Amino acid sequence: MTVVPQGSAAVSRGGSTGNLYDILELILDRGLVIDVFIRVSLVGIEILKIDIRIVVASVDTYLRFAEACNRLDLEAGRKAPTQLTDIVGEVTEGGAKGKSKGALSGAVEAISDTLQLGRDKDEDKEEEKEPAPKRTRPTTRRPTRRREE
Amino acid sequence: MSVYVYSITAAGHPRNLDGLTGVGPDPTALRTVSAGPLCAVVSDAPEELRPKRRDLIAHQAVQERLMADGTVLPLRFGLTAPDDDAVRAALEQRRDEYVQRLAELEGCAEYHLKAAIAEDVLLGEILRESPEARQLNDDIKAGSGSPDLPLALGELVAQEVLARHHALASGIIEALRPHARQERISEPTGDDFLNASFLVDEAHRELFLTAEKGLINELGTEFDFRLHGPLPAYSFV
Repeated sequence: MTVVPQGSAAVSRGGSTGNLYDILELILDRGLVIDVFIRVSLVGIEILKIDIRIVVASVDTYLRFAEACNRLDLEAGRKAPTQLTDIVGEVTEGGAKGKSKGALSGAVEAISDTLQLGRDKDEDKEEEKEPAPKRTRPTTRRPTRRREE
Repeated sequence: MSVYVYSITAAGHPRNLDGLTGVGPDPTALRTVSAGPLCAVVSDAPEELRPKRRDLIAHQAVQERLMADGTVLPLRFGLTAPDDDAVRAALEQRRDEYVQRLAELEGCAEYHLKAAIAEDVLLGEILRESPEARQLNDDIKAGSGSPDLPLALGELVAQEVLARHHALASGIIEALRPHARQERISEPTGDDFLNASFLVDEAHRELFLTAEKGLINELGTEFDFRLHGPLPAYSFV
C-alpha cells in the first residue's frame, strides 16, 4: 500500500495495518461485481466487520455516557470546543468559494430540529405505551434506534 | 482451472504487473484475458481462498499498480470465474457498459475519509451547551435526586452525541463536496462519525486535499481524520 507523507498527492495516515483496516470495506464490499462470477466464501472476514458500533440507544450506552459526563472536568479545555462549529463553517465557506452557506450553521439548526423531534417522539411514545408514571422506567426498555428512523 | 479476477482495464492499458503475484497461499503469476476493447487481469484461483490479510493486500496491490498507468475498474475481492473463456464472455456481455465506465473514471481516484472526535471533548461541549444535561450532571454529582437521573442524562447525551456527529459529518462533507465529482456516504463504524468516499478527478485533486488539510488544521487535535487515497474507485464502479 502506498504510504506517503502528507504534502504529497497520496495520503494514507496511520500505520499500515490501520490503512488496510480502514479500506477493508471497500475491498470486500465494493468494487465491480460480475454476476456470472462466483464469489469465494468470506467466512472469517466477518470477525473483522463485527466492530460496527454506532451510538446505539441502549441502557448500557446511556449509563456509560452518564458516567463519562460525571467524570469530566468542565473547566479544562473550555476553549477548543466552542470554536468547532464556527470553524467548520468558515472552512466550508472558504472551500465552496463563498457560494454555499456554512454547512455547520445549517447543520446546527438541523440538530435542534432533530433533538426536538426526538423528544417529541419519545414523549409520544411514552404517553402511548407507558401511561404509568414515567419514573418507573423498566431497565429493559428498548429505546428507538435513532439511526434507523 | 478456475481463475481469480482482479480488474478490468482498457485493452490499451500497459498493464505493467512486474513483481506482483496473485492471491492465495501459493500465489501464481498474473496474466490478462483480452476481449475486444477490454482486458481482465486474472490469475489461477487458489484451491481454497480465505480472505487473509496477505490476499487482500495482493488484490489491492494489483489495483494500485494498474491505477498508476491508467484507468481501472477494480473488482470486489473474491470473484472467480470457471475459466478464461468465461471471463472473456463476461467482458463481451457488458462490453459497452465497462467501456463507458472506464471512460467516465478516467483521471479519477477515490479518496476515503473516516473521522472521529475525542469523546470527552464532545461530552464537555454538550454539558456546556445544554442546561438540561448540565443540571442532571450536577444533580448526580451532588448525590441528590432520584437514581433514575444517570439514565436520563445518558439518554439526553446520547441524542446530543448522535446529532452532533451528524452535524460534524455534514459539515465536513459539505466542505469537500465542491472538489469531488461524486460522493458515497456510509454508516460510520467504531468510534467514527464519518465514513465517506469521494470520487476526485485530477483537476480537483489538489483543491480536495487542501480543503481536507484545512479541516484538519482548523478542527484540531481532538479530531482523528484518516484519509486514504488515491485509491481505485471501488465505490464508484
